[in-house]
Amino acid sequence: MTLLAPLFLLGVLAVGLPIWLHRLSSENPNREQFSSAMFLEPGEPRRVLAKSLQYLLLLALRVGLLVLLALAFARPALQGAAQALIEDTARLHVIVMDVSASMQHGDRWERAREVALEVVDAAPSGDLLQVIAMGRGAQALSDPTLDAASVRQSINALEPAFARADYGELMGSVDRMLRGIELATVVHVVTDLQQSSMPTRFAELAAQTSLELQLHDVSQPGDANWAVQSIVWQAGAEQVSASLSSFGTQPVPRNAVLELNGSRVAELPVIVPPDGTITVSFESPELSAGANRVEIFLDPGDDLAADDRRYIVVKRPEPRSVLLVSADPRARDSLFLTAALEAVSGPLTTVEPVAPAAIAERNLGDYAFVVVADAGVLGEAESEDLREHVAGGGALFLALGQRSGGLDVVPVTGHEFSSTTQLGTGADAFTIVGSMDNGHPAMAGTEELRMAKFFRYTALELQDGDQILAELEQGAPLLIDHALGEGRVVLFASSLDRAWNDLPVLPVFVPLVAGVTAYLAGDLTVQTEAQLGTTLSPRAVGLAGGQIFDPDGDAALGIAAAGSGNDVLLDRIGFYEVLGGGVTELVAVNLDPNESDLTSVEPNAVERWLNLNARTAQSGAAADLELAPAEPTPLWPWVMSLLIVVVVVESWVGNWHLRVRRGIAA
Amino acid sequence: MSQQAAATPPNLLSPEVLASLSNLDLVARAAVHGFFNGLHRSPQFGFSQEFAEYRAYSEGDDPRFVDWNVYARTERTYIKRYLGETNTHLVILLDSSASMGYASKKNVTKLQYAKFLAATLAYLAARQHDAVGLIVFDEEVRDHRPPSSRIGRLQSVMHAIDRAEPGTGTDLSVPFERFHQYQKGRGLVAVISDFYCEPEAMLKGVQPLAYQGQDVVLFQVLDPQELEPELKESALLEDMETGEAMEVSPIFMRSRYRERIQEHLGALSKSAARANADYQLLRTDEPLDGALRNYLTFRQRRG
Repeated sequence: MTLLAPLFLLGVLAVGLPIWLHRLSSENPNREQFSSAMFLEPGEPRRVLAKSLQYLLLLALRVGLLVLLALAFARPALQGAAQALIEDTARLHVIVMDVSASMQHGDRWERAREVALEVVDAAPSGDLLQVIAMGRGAQALSDPTLDAASVRQSINALEPAFARADYGELMGSVDRMLRGIELATVVHVVTDLQQSSMPTRFAELAAQTSLELQLHDVSQPGDANWAVQSIVWQAGAEQVSASLSSFGTQPVPRNAVLELNGSRVAELPVIVPPDGTITVSFESPELSAGANRVEIFLDPGDDLAADDRRYIVVKRPEPRSVLLVSADPRARDSLFLTAALEAVSGPLTTVEPVAPAAIAERNLGDYAFVVVADAGVLGEAESEDLREHVAGGGALFLALGQRSGGLDVVPVTGHEFSSTTQLGTGADAFTIVGSMDNGHPAMAGTEELRMAKFFRYTALELQDGDQILAELEQGAPLLIDHALGEGRVVLFASSLDRAWNDLPVLPVFVPLVAGVTAYLAGDLTVQTEAQLGTTLSPRAVGLAGGQIFDPDGDAALGIAAAGSGNDVLLDRIGFYEVLGGGVTELVAVNLDPNESDLTSVEPNAVERWLNLNARTAQSGAAADLELAPAEPTPLWPWVMSLLIVVVVVESWVGNWHLRVRRGIAA
Repeated sequence: MSQQAAATPPNLLSPEVLASLSNLDLVARAAVHGFFNGLHRSPQFGFSQEFAEYRAYSEGDDPRFVDWNVYARTERTYIKRYLGETNTHLVILLDSSASMGYASKKNVTKLQYAKFLAATLAYLAARQHDAVGLIVFDEEVRDHRPPSSRIGRLQSVMHAIDRAEPGTGTDLSVPFERFHQYQKGRGLVAVISDFYCEPEAMLKGVQPLAYQGQDVVLFQVLDPQELEPELKESALLEDMETGEAMEVSPIFMRSRYRERIQEHLGALSKSAARANADYQLLRTDEPLDGALRNYLTFRQRRG
């Protein structure tokens, strides 16, 4: 039993009032002092006893009345009694609702809901019920319960999503959920039995636990569907093409429509052949700078609207230069860097070497970012120019090479040197990278950085907001992402020639420079089309932090969580918007093409599946079964009824008692 | 009718009226004066300190009492004697046991009534130049003032009466023994008690005094509720002296109890007569007239 408003139990303290009054009463009126008992004789004992009992009865009634009143306000309810109500012959009915995207087709979902409710109605009253949603994995919506009403409520509240069903994964999940439940179990899978949801290995459909499987097919023969299966943007060919697929038996005329940033820019009438695929191509429209929303959809749509439209994000690249500051462009560090940068950027980026003194003559804002091959070449004025440039939103890659040894602090950033360590140049006198932040966009594909040998490095004192991207085994930071005003500086605590390390001659040098370039230039190859069911974070699109908005424009990652590293589950189709640092990035999320194929599982495959799980259901006690908290059964009506009875009896006894006290009946 | 009622002075001997007076001395004066006022209206019970006889002056007599008028006429010296000069002593034995603290509704407690009576008797005796003594007792003697007619004795006795509070049980033998021990001369002994004791025990205490030549008057003070109890329902009655509680029925109190108390009163009266003592039952709802009248009759008889 539980109390829904236990604070009202404090009212029980009021029982002190009648007890106190009765005590006063017992001390006073009926007990009288008399001068002498010399001539007295005791009355009849039975009469005395009856009077005492009557008195105690009245007291008990009054105390009981107050206790019941407090209890009624505390709203007692029965809870947990369900466990005791489970009979040995009871069974557990697990209703698995397929909430994959294909269930949105036509009235499949309505039929699925009806079938599920029929299963609930047909279950004997002593049987337990549980609802599981099968979408991205299997998710239990409730614990096993005897409360059919709550199960119906769960079913009615459920809606199909955009996920893809996987029967193999479902059986595995059901297996795990039912493990330990020693109760005969019937698993009702309410689904459209899509062939595309079958696992590659048929054995995955076999449950390890003992259960009775019942498949409720809600698909209808002849269900047809047409979908945009893919979009390809061919930059070189200046065209965009889409694959249109048919899962019907009849050719249908459709219009393939191209939309750019929400505007219809092209339309092509096509005949989609039965059970086939056709490719349509559009001339590339003029793109805006940055990310563009490109959609291709079929008009008119069909019963499954989710796959009639497909989305991609196309970014228009802009060729930009990198300013390489070096005392001698023919020095090794400059040569290695130039080679790596040109290898990375190709024709889109050019490297422009410049002497330190010429920095003041250049408009640094025209460059994608600035690279300083050795910080020791920077004078105070150049350092200040670069500092202003970065603080205003620029980017800088700063290496601490051989000439940095005589500096007090790192130019531009102001980092203090803690030491410069010379380990030697021999085969055994070196150190390697100890740890790396592989999640950082600049570090993608740089796992082989651990192969590099560092003979000498400069240890820096970290500043607030510094992020270590790579750290040497000794604990000294090797690569630091430093925030400075609106911009960023990536510090490399060793040289870029072969004097202090062998990194420039290792293959990983190019991916490292590419990562840093992409990170600092801001035109990292963004994962513009993400898979449904994966996660997205601002860092994944090259932003240090920011907000994420879902396709409906609702904040999926709010300001409060921005920068916290939280990821957003991509469970809707459309364009997700990532806003941060004044930059807007887009990520397209599309339906799994497998969900478009409505082809049903062959009947013999269904039969094999059922036979695979046709085992004798064990019966047993539900001792280990954790039941869902059923809706508590309110007890207050019973308490109120009892209260009324007590009030009536108390009135009668009290009145009788008072009549005696007044001398009426004496 | 209402005018007559308004004109009627309040009975100064009524216990309720006396209880409204805070000073016991004042109570005594009010009671005595009220009593004598009543006597003027009822001459058959006449008594006063008046001239009794002449006696020839002899040596040692107080010259203040010589009647100079007679001397002027006869040239002989005579002493004028008054009734009041037949001095005696009055010793009041006041019961202050716990049972004396009982009072029913609207009535004063028995002890309060007894204190009024004791104070009034003391005042009356002092006014007649009698020596006044007091013994306050319950199971023990709580206060003892030997009789004396000295100035200030009355106040001392009044003070002792005033201080009397309900104590514990009753033992009549204790005050009688004390009295016997200290009092050798003849006099008046007024015993004020509710006499919740066996008549034989009372007799045993009083009889030696009678043999000693003391005139004993027994004032039994009882509450009307003790004589004619009225209970509407069964009640748990607790003995004020012993603490013993007893559930009694109204029927018993209306019948058997009354018979028992009357038997007890009769036995007390007989025992008093056997001891040659005067006995008077006083109800706390009645004025003090009867008690005072009885005392003066005794006093007169003694004189």
